[in-house]
Formats: sequence, structure tokens, C-alpha cells
Amino acid sequence: MRATASERPPGEPRLVGYLYLLPALVAFTAFVLVPLGRAVWLSFYDWDGVTPGTWTGLDNYAELFSEEALRGAFAHALVLLFFYALLPVGIGLLLAGLVARARVRGLAFFRTVLFLPQVIALVVVAVMWRMIYDPGSGALNELLRTFGLGSLTQSWLGDFNLALPAVGVVGTWVWFGLAMVLLMAGVQKIPASLYDAARVDGAGMVREFFAVTLPALRGEIAVALTLTTIAALRNFDLIYITTKGGPGDATSVPAFQVYDRAFQTGEVGSAAAIGIALTAIIFCFSFVINRTAERGYAL
Amino acid sequence: MAGVRFVGVDKRYGSVEAVRGLDLEVTDGELMVIVGPSGSGKTTALRMLAGLESITAGEVLIGDRVVNRVAPRERDVAMVFQDYALYPQMSVFDNLAFGLRRRKVPKGEIAARVQRAAELLDIGSLLERKPGQLSGGQAQRVALGRALVRQPQVFLMDEPLSNLDAKLRTQTRGEIKRLQQDVRTTTVYVTHDQVEAMTMGDRIAVMNDGVLEQVGTPEEVYERPANRFVAGFIGSPAMSFFDAAVTREDGGVRLRGEGVDVHVPERSALPASVIVGVRPEAARLWGTTTGIAGPVPGTVVYVEALGRETFVGVDVAGSRLAVYEEGRSALQPGDTVEFGLVPGALRFFAPDSGAAIS
Amino acid sequence: MTSRRELTLTYVVLGAFSLFALAPVVGIVLTALQDPDGLAAFGSFNGLHPSNFADAWRDGNFGPYLRSSVIVMVVVVAVASVLSVLAGYAFGMMRFRGSQVLFYVVLLGLMIPTEAIVVPLYYDYRDAGLTDTYWALILPQIGTSVAFGTFWMRAFFRTVPRSLVEAARIDGASSWFTLWRVVLPLARPAVLTMMLLLSMWTWNEFLLALVMVTDEGLRTAPLGLSFFQGRNQTDLTLLAAGAVIVATPIVLLYVFLQRHFIRGMLSGAVKG
Repeated sequence: MRATASERPPGEPRLVGYLYLLPALVAFTAFVLVPLGRAVWLSFYDWDGVTPGTWTGLDNYAELFSEEALRGAFAHALVLLFFYALLPVGIGLLLAGLVARARVRGLAFFRTVLFLPQVIALVVVAVMWRMIYDPGSGALNELLRTFGLGSLTQSWLGDFNLALPAVGVVGTWVWFGLAMVLLMAGVQKIPASLYDAARVDGAGMVREFFAVTLPALRGEIAVALTLTTIAALRNFDLIYITTKGGPGDATSVPAFQVYDRAFQTGEVGSAAAIGIALTAIIFCFSFVINRTAERGYAL
Repeated sequence: MAGVRFVGVDKRYGSVEAVRGLDLEVTDGELMVIVGPSGSGKTTALRMLAGLESITAGEVLIGDRVVNRVAPRERDVAMVFQDYALYPQMSVFDNLAFGLRRRKVPKGEIAARVQRAAELLDIGSLLERKPGQLSGGQAQRVALGRALVRQPQVFLMDEPLSNLDAKLRTQTRGEIKRLQQDVRTTTVYVTHDQVEAMTMGDRIAVMNDGVLEQVGTPEEVYERPANRFVAGFIGSPAMSFFDAAVTREDGGVRLRGEGVDVHVPERSALPASVIVGVRPEAARLWGTTTGIAGPVPGTVVYVEALGRETFVGVDVAGSRLAVYEEGRSALQPGDTVEFGLVPGALRFFAPDSGAAIS
Repeated sequence: MTSRRELTLTYVVLGAFSLFALAPVVGIVLTALQDPDGLAAFGSFNGLHPSNFADAWRDGNFGPYLRSSVIVMVVVVAVASVLSVLAGYAFGMMRFRGSQVLFYVVLLGLMIPTEAIVVPLYYDYRDAGLTDTYWALILPQIGTSVAFGTFWMRAFFRTVPRSLVEAARIDGASSWFTLWRVVLPLARPAVLTMMLLLSMWTWNEFLLALVMVTDEGLRTAPLGLSFFQGRNQTDLTLLAAGAVIVATPIVLLYVFLQRHFIRGMLSGAVKG
């Protein structure tokens, strides 16, 4: 807001506002923005972290498209997007739709339980699920055996085709609670009169959902999608503990590539570029999600 | 203790003019009520006086001091907000003492002032409570107390009664008026309720769309409105209007409008067409009073029975007029009726500018 | 009116998903309590052996790890909270040039993943001799926490009635006084929720610790668990006990204050 000195009410804090802002801004700039800038700088170099680096311009970024390992990593991230974001939000919508019509007692209890996975450190989650997926003593295979489906047992995290979905399911487990709680809360805010009106107009369950519930939840859906999308793209902890990108490259994701290249294989510049690309993708997705939600309101 | 003056004050927000060319003087010790519909600029004017808004053009003076660039705390004003704005985590005592403590008033003096205010406002038993534990009326009095305690040069009140229920509002109105007369501090009081304005103000300033329409005592503003807006705004039920063509007739004029055709004696200097303003008490049922001009025929649309008096809403060829009837009325909606106009009580306004024609 | 059938369906579905959420957690707790010498299997119950926790604690050296986590968490949350309150106050209650732009920068900063900055952070801190210190963990997390905290506190401060601040200003209070004595008492729930969320995220932070810390004594709990897992692939009960140890502090915090966690997250998320 461009308020010049004469436009400001006398005595209203003016420059002092900047003073309040300063410490936080300094911290943020020094510890986040500057490193980001440095990452951009590093991404233009070919560097092993020890010997002096060489300038390579945009080569590291070109590799994002040309190098198969990186293309694969990003493709895997997209797959995980389904498990981490779309699935949880879908489940959340389903439940929100149900809860909207019914007066459920004990909602607080359900909320507490459903939200619990969010609170647990991802490292612990990874350890947990590694145990579950363990081919020998793991709970999943045990469960299948007890139901006589012993033939379906797998090495879930060790199978080239199953590892990524297996990791995806873990992500769904972590995030579906947040999506549900978010959407259920949003649903509580919808006035009952809207549903009554729809019902009087003859709408059934499905129609009600699309006509009343969904439009009202645009804001919450946008938030849920944004948070889970960012989580899907970031995703380092889980991969590191469960599969370390394996078997082979089956569960390699950009976040893991950043770590691997920066600290294991001496491709620091490439790692930086991947990090920057990740950030750019996150920005894009957030922008698109929120724009769509906003425009939805205008409709 | 000081008077207040607005001299040619403008307030602009970007391209929007909230206040235009405001010239208003409040004499020392007077209770001036600024009244008007929402968007009239009354609150903006008050806030400029408080120092909460900057002044785009013109000068605001408290006493002899131009305070345009003076911070609120230096202006020695105290304000009562519509939502009371009590400090929520402090006791009532601390709320009252807050401003004094900020000004380094000695402890003994603070205690004395708070006690006095508490007695005046009957909130002595509430001093240890928190704002959340007060009723609306109690909170309002604490807000008043907070201003009283400061002993400022000017009291500023921004619709302090709007959040109270009707009965409490009427009661508190009187209390505020009495209080002000006791302490005789210059007070600028803003409200949208013209009844409040009429009952409380030593003088009333009517504002509309950023412009000051008229300043005067309640009687002046009621009996001699300066223009159509003021005439229609002040008074309850509101004044009714109809357009009329004027022709000279023996000893008076003939007013012809939609459904109206009356002879009014002794009215000279009226232009060819006017807007005629009729307060309810200026319209009486035909046959109940002598010396009225008429008859004007119409159909009853509503009957507002208030016990001691009744206001009958009559439709006259599309225009709605309110007619006064003493006591109860036998009329029903749908009845045809005839009424007359009390000539001396009619007000005339120019059709183009709305200005009053004397 | 909803039919009995619909209500039952809702409860069933809610219950099923709740089970899905709880099962792994219950499973690992049970595993941690299993007989250490018996046949270990995830989630099976064969008696309560809480001594496993003591064993894991010793074996995994979790004492120092937890202490590290606490130190980092406390410093980050304390500093970031104060900074965020100040900045949120400015953004939420004051008008000044460029506040919109600056806030957008903060908003974008919320979306910058640690993965993007961890590489330059490491190499720059290495050159500065800061790796393998608490600072390497504290400083970057102050940066990221401040982004969230400022966003959060600004959202809160915007809900404070303007008239309250104006009354204080007329009464002669400075902006500092107004913040700490008039507005902040109102902010207690918001500040508490912010501190809880920041605590959770700081405690659970893994990548930064992995990259910055090689000194065993400085490891934070999640990092410690990662190494513990490396050494105990086969000893399920021990590993499970270690995992439970690492997760418990925050889960406990959550169980007792979950109202704040959840309601806070929800209101803040949508307000943004």
C-alpha cells in the first residue's frame, strides 16, 4: 500500500514496522533465501564438492530431460503424487461427503486417531512400514497367509514393480488423515439449509455431493492438495529409510537424487539443479491448484 | 476543556471522497451529535478528530491548536468505540487505569479518578472483573468510564449505543446526556440514529455522502430543515414528499400534484414547481381539524397504532403519505379516506437542488 | 434426515479408516513389547516386556540423541516464535510500504523445500566450520520456521479488532506496549499452536541432520534411529522399541494437546 507520510494518520507506526519485521526477515533471508540463491549458482557448475568446479551453464538442467535416471525420478514423483495427494484427498472427500449428511457423534475421537500419522516422524513411519512389508515376518504377508492368500505374498519393497506403489501406500497412510480432517472440518461449515434445499429439489446422495459439498470445499481441497503435493515432491525421509531408491532405480525420486548426487556421487551441481527444479515444480503446482480453486469461486 | 473546529476538511481514499469541505464548529462544553446514514462520512470525521485517520485537506483544531499532524495521544482526547474495545485480559480497574498509567499519572490520583468514575457510572462492583464477564450494558459503561477517567479536552463517541438492545439504549441515552452535562466536556457524538441525535444533542450536524447538510439545534433542524435530505432524515415517522405544480390563486397558491389538488393560503414566492414536504402531524383526517387544506383522497395502506397516537399510511396516486391521528384509529387498510394538510406545517423544497424554500 | 443405514455406513467407513491409521502404530508398540528372545513378528502379542525400551535406549544410545533433539527443538522454537510474533504483528496490524510484496516472499518461502537448500547449506557451512555443530541444525530451521510462523501469526493478528489497537493508541500506548500487553494475551492459543507445530516439525526433521551431522554425539533422534536401524535389521523388538522412543515425545504432546494441533492446523491452513 503506497501511503506517503502525509497520508498516514499521525502516530501510526511507520518505519517501526520495518523494525519489527527485520529479525525475522534477516533470519529468513540468511538461512533460506541466500542458500536458495547459492543453490541456483551451484546448479550452473559441474562440481564434485572437493576440487574446483567448472562452469556448465544450463547443462545440469538439460540433464533433467535427457538423463534417464532423472527422468525416471521425476516420473516416480508423479506416481507418488497420486498416492500422496490424489488418493488421500479423494478418500477425504468421500468421508467428508458421508459426514456432511450424518450427525456423527464422537467426531473428535475419530479426528484424533485419523490425524495421528501426521505427528509421527517419517523415519519412524519408514521403520514401521519396513517391518510391515518385510517378506518374512512382515505383517502384510502374515495377514495374507492367515487368509489363505499365501500365494500373493511378495517382497513388497524388493520388487521392481511393487516397490513404488508400496512406498506410495505409506504416503497415503501418512496423509489421508490430514486430508480427511481438513475436509471434514470444511464440511461442518456448510449450512444445513443448503442440503435441505437440495433434498427438497429432489437431489440424491451423489447429486448433493456434486452440487453442494464439492463447491463449498474448494478452499479446503486446494489447501489439502497443496500440502500433499509438496509432501509428495519432497519425500526424502521415507525413500531413504525404506528403499534408498531401490531396488535399482525403482523408487528413485528427485529428493533422493539430490542427496545421492550431492553427497555420494560428487555431482553437486546436478543436485542443486534438481533441488531448484523441485522448487519450481512446487511453485507451479501450488499456483495452478490455487488458481483453479479461485476461479471455481468466480464460477 | 476546548472547542473543536473543522475548517474545509477533505478526506480522500484514493479516488473516493469520504468527506468533502467540512466546516463545523463545536463550542466548548457542547454535545454535538453528527448524524447521517452509513457512508455519510460522520465516522470518518470523528476519526480524523481522534487522529486515527489522516487529513487530506483542511485543518482540524482542538482549542486553538491545529492538530492535523499531532498523534492521538498528544491530542488529549478520549474515545468510546462502538464495540467498546476493552482490553480483554485486564480487569475493569486496569482498563480504566490504562490510559492514566501510560501518562505517568501518580498512583493515588489514578485510584481517586477510577473511584469517582466508578461511582458516577455505577460500576464499582465490577472493578475486579474481566471484560468477558460483563454484560453489554456494563461493558458500555466501562468504556465510558475509561474515557471519563482521562479527563480529556474532548470526548469522542462512535455509535456507543448501537450494540445495546432498544430498552437499554433509551436508558443509557439519558445517562450519557446527564453525564455530559455534569462534566461539561466538549463531546462529539456520532450516530446513525436520528432519534438519538434529537434527544441527546445540544446541536446536531447532519451529514450525507461526505457533505455537511445542516448544523443546528434539534428544533432548528426539525422545524427548519435546510434541504430535502435533512427534512426526510430527521423525524420519525419520516416526512413524506410529493411533487406539485404551483399556481397563484386568490390569497394563496394552488398545489397540484398526483392525486393532490389543494389550496393553501398565504404562501408567496414559490416557484412553478416544488417538492412539498409533509410531516405526519401536518396531515390530519378531513373533518377532524379546522383550517386545513384539502381534501386529499387516498387509500389506507397501513395503520401504525402506537397507543397514544396512530400513523396512517395513505396511498395517494402512487405516493405514500403518513397521516397523524390522535388516539386510536378506526381505519383499516383498504379503506378510502380523505385528509387535509396543515398549511403552516408544510415545507417546500426546490425540485432540482432540494434546498429549502423559505 | 439421514437414514439409519447411511449413519451406520458412515460409522463403518470412519471406523475402518481409523483402524487403518491406528493399526501400524499399535503394531509397532506391540512389537516393541514383545519377548526379545522369542520369535519376533510385527504386531504379534506375546506378553509385555518393557525392558526392551531400556535395552534399546542403551544399545542405541538414545539418551544423547534425545538431548540433541531437545536442544535444537527448544532453541529453534523459542527464537522462531519470538521472531514470528514480531513479524506477524507488523504484517497483520501495521501498514507500511512494500508489506504486500514482502509477505508474498514469505509465502513463497513456505514452499521452498529443504531439499533445495540443503546442498548449498552443507557446503557453505562446511567451509565456515559450522558443520557438526548445533548451529548447523538450528539456524536453517529457524529460517524455515520463521516463514511458517510469520504467516501464522499474521493470520491471527488480522483477526484482532482494529478498535482495540486504536483505543490503546489513543490511551497513549506505544506499538511495543500494545503488542505485549494488549494484543498478545489474546494470542496465547495461536502462539501455543504455532509452537506445537514448529516443535513437531523440528523434532521430526531428518534430512538436515543427516547431511550436517557426522559426529555421533550430535545426532538428533530421527538420525539416531536411522543408524540404529542400520545396525539392527534383524532384531525387530529392539528396533521397534527404538522407533517408539523416538516418536513418543511428540505423540505424547499430541495426545495431550491434540485439540490445539488439529484446530490450529485447520484454521491456519484455510485462512491462508
